[in-house]
Amino acid sequence: MVKEIVVEPVTRLEGHGGLRIVIGDDGKVKDAQFNITSTRFFEKFCEGRYCEHVPRITPRICGICPIPHHLAPTKAVEDAWGVEIPPAAYKLRQLLMNAKQYSSHMLHFYALAAPDFLLGPFADPALRNVVHVINKMPDVGAMALKMMDFGQKLCAEIGGKSVHPVSAIVGGMKKPMDEAARDKFLKMVPEQVDFMLKTVDIALKVVTDYWDVVANVGVVPTYYLGMTKNGVHDIYDGDLRIVTPDGKKIDYDVHDYLNVLGEHVPDHSYATHMYYKPAGYPDGIYRANTLAMTNCADRMATPLADGALKEMKAKIGDVSHHTFAYHWARIIEAVESIELIAQYLEDPDIVNPDCKTLDVEPREGNGVGVVEAPRGILLYNIWSNDQGICNKLNLLVATNHNIAGIEKSLMHVAKQVFEDKALEGLKLPDPWIK
Amino acid sequence: MAVKVAFMQSSDCWGCHQSLLNAHLGLLKILPALDIVYWPAVVDFKHDSLKARPDGDILVGFIEGSMRTNADIENAKLMRAKCQLIIAFGSCACYGSVHGLANQWDIQEAITRKFTEAESITNENPKEPKEHMPGFASKIVPLDEVISVDVYMGGCPPKPEAIFSAVEFLLGQKPQPMSETAFCNDCSLNNENCFLEKGTLCFGPITSTGCTLKCTDDGNPCVGCLGPAKSVSSRVGKLAQMTENLEQISSGDKRNLYEFLTLFLNVPLMAGFDLAGDILQQVKKTGETQTPLANLPYETGNIATKIMAFLKNRRDFTEISTVCDTCPRKIGSKSQMTKVKRDYEGLPNMEDCLIEQGYLCAGPITRAGCGGLCLKVNTPCSGCYGQTSWNVDQIERYVDVVKKGYNVALSKEEMLVQIKDKLGFAEKFTLATNKNYR
Repeated sequence: MVKEIVVEPVTRLEGHGGLRIVIGDDGKVKDAQFNITSTRFFEKFCEGRYCEHVPRITPRICGICPIPHHLAPTKAVEDAWGVEIPPAAYKLRQLLMNAKQYSSHMLHFYALAAPDFLLGPFADPALRNVVHVINKMPDVGAMALKMMDFGQKLCAEIGGKSVHPVSAIVGGMKKPMDEAARDKFLKMVPEQVDFMLKTVDIALKVVTDYWDVVANVGVVPTYYLGMTKNGVHDIYDGDLRIVTPDGKKIDYDVHDYLNVLGEHVPDHSYATHMYYKPAGYPDGIYRANTLAMTNCADRMATPLADGALKEMKAKIGDVSHHTFAYHWARIIEAVESIELIAQYLEDPDIVNPDCKTLDVEPREGNGVGVVEAPRGILLYNIWSNDQGICNKLNLLVATNHNIAGIEKSLMHVAKQVFEDKALEGLKLPDPWIK
Repeated sequence: MAVKVAFMQSSDCWGCHQSLLNAHLGLLKILPALDIVYWPAVVDFKHDSLKARPDGDILVGFIEGSMRTNADIENAKLMRAKCQLIIAFGSCACYGSVHGLANQWDIQEAITRKFTEAESITNENPKEPKEHMPGFASKIVPLDEVISVDVYMGGCPPKPEAIFSAVEFLLGQKPQPMSETAFCNDCSLNNENCFLEKGTLCFGPITSTGCTLKCTDDGNPCVGCLGPAKSVSSRVGKLAQMTENLEQISSGDKRNLYEFLTLFLNVPLMAGFDLAGDILQQVKKTGETQTPLANLPYETGNIATKIMAFLKNRRDFTEISTVCDTCPRKIGSKSQMTKVKRDYEGLPNMEDCLIEQGYLCAGPITRAGCGGLCLKVNTPCSGCYGQTSWNVDQIERYVDVVKKGYNVALSKEEMLVQIKDKLGFAEKFTLATNKNYR
């Protein structure tokens, strides 16, 4: 008899989705679907808006990563109008991006992912959540909350609001940081670095404990999409980089995106399937997000993070297909974020009032703005008329880059679980929380 | 005993949940009071477990997001059946938020743009996905046109403080415990010079005692700070009689009514979560004037209800709190709007009103509650808490309000010509409530 396994909804994520696995009479997996069941048509209703208001609307695409959705369209309009921003604005935006990266990665690691590892995969679903983790490991819970709090408060300080920031404007930033606020956050940095190092220890213990899982479950070769600046990991500024399944790295200017990134509309998901155009669909399916970024990066931008990257690559290779290593890569990115936060907070430009150019004039044309959001490359292509009204918008959103890749790894893992019974022999540690 | 709560996410961004999580260490205080029975973003209970619950099993249901897909609408109805109280959580649920801007077009045009016309699509014949997909509502409507709503909490997102006030309030940690007897029993003016006897509104007969009696000792009436008492004093009849015809009371007393409700329902007016205002807004929309407080003495409920009914159509209510009221900038400054500037032009100073510096700022027509966060980073208000008046032409109202109270050298006509994206500016978060776009 044909059996259908439905997980509805997928929990502990932002967004709407379900999983559907179909197993045939012969016990073989016939289909694996990742159904994304909502979309809101930002591409349409941004038409007719003032171009500089698009970044006031689009943060509502994602409440966890609204900062990338504020900055990418701002960059796109600057690209369309040929606007250069002052160095102080560039640094403020880098600081804002890294504050967001830090809090989002800690939210993801501790609130969304950690319950699986700390309670183990067979724990009572009613308890497998961050609330229970906080109850059982109050010290770790409080530390995690303090890390997220630091990142979110820094976002709010620079962006005006942490959820749906407002302070970037075509031409720069509306305001530098206040000196008093800068001093306050600088004082908090050493404690955060300490928290981050403790988190690295926790993460490495999880990786060691679950090594059998990391090394054997969901190891799926795909292409990868990330961003680097001259090969160095960068989340605000750089070129697109594709890594092929066999580890070749190819750089593309962001303006070439239509030659590189294809969007296949499936019949079973409102989120489209992205693929690397030269390889075709579905062969060219790629993944984005943290592991994609570390696969792309020759090195990290800061010393501690770069050491951690080298350690990971020594263990799982320069280019890794280990789906569970996404968590490891996330921690490495978070280390880089706190190091960059410290670096930018010490830069005098952060309080420099010269953070907005006055030389901004609308012109007709289209521009591309790209940043790396916490869950992948975020690309805005905005068409402006000569009055600076948005005529058209094309969007490639971070999570969207991963939908096809997730479905591909879902099929792979479904076969491992239901056909090969691969899970039965897996070595699992005693749960930390029993 | 922990209280059952459920969180439903409709089509939106998760930002209201993130805003709740932004309380961070504050969460430790409140989590033990909650039995979270559904919250896909955080806990692993599936849809079937919610469906399996008896009707009315959950005390408080938060519904976040816009009614974009048919699944959103079904889920809202499911929540209404399972929850005793429904909170429209955030501007998407209250007013449709930015997604409502899509109501400018036929849904097919939006579907075509996204699934067939997008520049990066490569299918030969791309079409709207249908397999296991819920389909789209033709237009987005506010949540209260799909199900009845008990509490509105606007904001994109609502501030964490606002969410906490709501949770504490609804969990009964607020208001303070009701005293057995009413304020009148302790009042020094009870025997002589009683305000009510002189025809001045005083809420002593229905208000809890236990304060310092400072108001009456200083010669002012009781405004209801400590909330309702368990019993009413013998003068309640006099108070009830005055509330029968509120048009007759003095203008000072009228101004006090809003403050009274705010204090009496014990939610701070400007602290972010404007529950009293939201109740009034609800009253305004649905016409139902019932206080959400349970177990009130009959007379007390009656009086509060009459005041709400009175306020719902008054300009005092609709104009009482806008973002400008909480903005630190100077109105009537040395600056003057001589043309409508775009946000990218120049760089405003931090002291003067942004409108007077020439910029489009939605503050004058936007509900307070945010604390003016955008203004503090030199950025105009975009209206995310929703409007202070409904069923009117918002851009006309905006220009009228600005012409009247702000230093503007342009004529109304000049302003209207210079504002190119009228809907995107004045109804960015509320177009779903505008029936001209259905």
